Amino acid sequence: MTWRRLDHLQLLLIGMLATLGLMTVFSAGADWGRQVVWVILGAAAYVAATVFDYRRLRPLALAIYAGMLLLLLAVHLVGHTALGARRWLSVAGFPLEPSELSKLLLVVVLAAYLSRSDRVSWRTFGAAMVLAAPPACLILTQPDLGTTIVIAGVLIGMLFLAGARAWQLFSILFAAGAALPLLPYLLHGYQRRRLEIFLDPTQDPLGAGYNLLQARIAVGSGGFFGQGWLHGQQGQLGFVPERATDFVFAIFAEEFGLLGSLILLAILGTLLIRLLRSAAVAPDRFGELLAVGVFVMILVQVVENVGMNIGVLPIAGIPLPLISYGGSATISTLAALGLVQSVTLRRRAVAIADSNSAALGTITRRAQA
Amino acid sequence: MIELGGAAPKARWSVRLVAAASLAVLVIGGLAVKLAELQVTYGAQLALMARANTVHRVVLQADRGVIYDRHGVALVANSPVWNLEIIPAALPNDARARAAELEELAHITGLQKTELSAELRAADPYGSVRVGADLTQAQQLAVRERLPDMPGASIAQHAVRTYIEPMTFGHVLGYVGPLNEAELKRLKPSGYQPGEVIGKVGVENGLESLLRGKDGWADIEVDARGQVVKTLNSQAPVPGDSVYLSLDAKLQRATAQSLAAGLLRDHKTAGASVVVDPRTGEVLALVSLPGYDTNLFTHGIGQAEFKKLLDDPNRPLLNRAISGQYAPGSTFKMVTATAGLQEGKITPDTLLGCPSYVNVNGWIYHNWASYNLGQMNVAKALAVSCDTFFYQVAAMVGDVTLAKYARAFGFGQSKDIEMPGVMPGLVPDRIWKQLQCGVPDLNSDACRWSTGDTITFGIGQSYLLTTPLNQAVYVAALANGGSVMKPTLVHDVRDASGHAVQVLNPQVTSTVPASAATILAVREGMRQEINPPYNMNYWFRASGVPADGGGKTGTAQWGGSGLDLPTHAWFVFFAPYAQPEIALSIFVERGELSEVQAAPIGVDIMKFYRANVGAIRAQEAR
Repeated sequence: MTWRRLDHLQLLLIGMLATLGLMTVFSAGADWGRQVVWVILGAAAYVAATVFDYRRLRPLALAIYAGMLLLLLAVHLVGHTALGARRWLSVAGFPLEPSELSKLLLVVVLAAYLSRSDRVSWRTFGAAMVLAAPPACLILTQPDLGTTIVIAGVLIGMLFLAGARAWQLFSILFAAGAALPLLPYLLHGYQRRRLEIFLDPTQDPLGAGYNLLQARIAVGSGGFFGQGWLHGQQGQLGFVPERATDFVFAIFAEEFGLLGSLILLAILGTLLIRLLRSAAVAPDRFGELLAVGVFVMILVQVVENVGMNIGVLPIAGIPLPLISYGGSATISTLAALGLVQSVTLRRRAVAIADSNSAALGTITRRAQA
Repeated sequence: MIELGGAAPKARWSVRLVAAASLAVLVIGGLAVKLAELQVTYGAQLALMARANTVHRVVLQADRGVIYDRHGVALVANSPVWNLEIIPAALPNDARARAAELEELAHITGLQKTELSAELRAADPYGSVRVGADLTQAQQLAVRERLPDMPGASIAQHAVRTYIEPMTFGHVLGYVGPLNEAELKRLKPSGYQPGEVIGKVGVENGLESLLRGKDGWADIEVDARGQVVKTLNSQAPVPGDSVYLSLDAKLQRATAQSLAAGLLRDHKTAGASVVVDPRTGEVLALVSLPGYDTNLFTHGIGQAEFKKLLDDPNRPLLNRAISGQYAPGSTFKMVTATAGLQEGKITPDTLLGCPSYVNVNGWIYHNWASYNLGQMNVAKALAVSCDTFFYQVAAMVGDVTLAKYARAFGFGQSKDIEMPGVMPGLVPDRIWKQLQCGVPDLNSDACRWSTGDTITFGIGQSYLLTTPLNQAVYVAALANGGSVMKPTLVHDVRDASGHAVQVLNPQVTSTVPASAATILAVREGMRQEINPPYNMNYWFRASGVPADGGGKTGTAQWGGSGLDLPTHAWFVFFAPYAQPEIALSIFVERGELSEVQAAPIGVDIMKFYRANVGAIRAQEAR
């Protein structure tokens, strides 16, 4: 039975996250009704992705890649500008943020490419780099540092989990180390400023350091039990900036306290482990790499978002998966999770079952025609 | 399409998957630890910062008490002014929007943008900073329209003292100003806060404790844009008490106008006049000219304007009525007469000569007339103001006794009135003169009291000094039969709800040790001076004012000794003769002829009083 093969825990965790997300977005005073619509559309995408046999994506990888680049190019050509960055496309009246979508698309493309062989040769390694570079550059120049970081994380994480050799991974580190002195030239003024402020938030408490400081104050004033849903002073009175998106975690932490925050982190952590488990049961390397890619994608976002909210990482515009307000992010995250569910659903059946189950299992590591 | 498999598939956890899982757990665990530190270890501290963000204590400024004249005419108003206030933390975070807003705010306030930025940086980021000068009604309305687009900026209203007729009432009322550092240090224990206003001079200072209200406060919750969300706690301010001065606004105005007209007529620039009620000691008018615009001080005076006032040779900031000390000249002769009569040196009928000069140990002391005026009694001597007559009386009485009588009339005594800067004047004596020499030397003329000092003391010269206020109190004592009243500027004080806090309580400072007959004889001289056949009567006839009262002129030399010294002109007067209800002094700085320059001013004031105030006061008494 299909239903029994589903990862029920994953479903439960997603449901909990979506509920907490909607509650927090409501408290943050964003367009709540709209977010409900996004979640419903995301749920539909999730179901569709689950039902859809992920293996049919593999032959489409090249087309997906081309489509992704087109979308990102379109942003540069006809995109909307907001807050100093050109990130949005208007699709049938709805704002679409292709960079959010591209995270998932790149996961699919890299999974398809890396699954062509069981090993990561230098050639494969280089080709993966070359594949990731154009979207990364297009996104970085929007500018969207946060998503670029996620893409870099996805690339490195997937290479590692695909079996890249230590030297290959070190070479990335070396390259990054070598490029570090160039960083000031690569970053936009405000991005450089964010980095400086991160290193010393007191140097401009009202300007660039304001967000960081106010988010920290909000998180801290949550205390252990929190101030209660809809009762976070900092959030409700508007002191926390971008409170429905980048700083949604500060709102959550203020209202639900350490207790709620630890529960949220536990849910996210469990979900992440669940994604790895999906990789562990994947019927093929493509599926395994898909699940692994989604894992890295979500992990990087969680770490960066929570990290910047509590002031241990510099500020970069990254949503907290399934909690932050935003259509593109919500739908693409749910679609990604649906794909992983699809992998789980099509997992290997084991020949030798334990105890009372005496099913006829066959190992199916081959894609169906 | 989907193969149905076993219920319990075996997961194949590769080393790398385990490593990834461990990394995830480790990193999320690390975040959890940092989170716990932030929310538990620093939780209380950050919660305080959150409160500081949103809850501000604002001072609710208490209205300062209003000052009225005795009939309830308001002499000062607490007028509203508007200021631009900025909460630095509420300005836009976006550097470009912030710069644009600062640009506009700088334009509104007329400050340099760099100046404004510096001011804001120095301030408490979550408090309201007042920037720029007061805004006019039109300006504040224009700014209000723009406020929705300028987060962090607001318009605050507060009250500023506006004096109704500063040139007339300025020297009495004084003005208020922000506390200076010394005052703040001294008054901090009384609850004064930096930036608070305090009465600087005049009754604004003298009655500070009554006029000052008690500020209230409110704890308000504001959002990130600086908009008030709600008030948590508050205490309403208590307005200061209303003070009803003893001044009669109309009489004060008339006094100022008469004095100003008199000064103008004779090309004089400075003078003073004090009118008191001899029955109570209430000051009905107190004028010092030139005056100055006290509103300059409350509405913001420029350096240049202030320097101009300070450097003005006519010294408009000096309140001559209470702070100016001058020799009384012939107006002092009533004291000498009282002493002579009371000490039995003369009687009302004693005739003494009035030669053109007397010779004391080879020193010549002149009368004002260069010819002999013949034998006369004390009343006539007062009426014609014979100097040589009073030289003789002073010599008979002696300097010690004369000083005693002078002090009994209030000369040289501090006048405790509701204003700072009251000078006591000076009654000289032997010891005082000795002390004037650095090293006492009994044989030096400069240190030793001489007979010349005694006889010039008798005509209000030598080292004697008085003030226009002192003169009015002195003549009031002659008018009321010998009681030196404590002068007061306050009729009564009421709190904000109208309850009396202080009522008029006339006090006698001292009583002149003189019999009724003595006082009567002296008053007779003052009566004669303003009646025919003496010249002074001319002014009463010319003005149509009955010469019912007593007056005395004085032209006092100052600036050393010798002939042709500069003089000040005095006129003191009381009326009506039988039951006096008004006593006044007129002082004309550098006046040469008291009969011509000071007396008409007094007559002018008297004319107004008879026509207007007398009727009102009669009504009041009934």
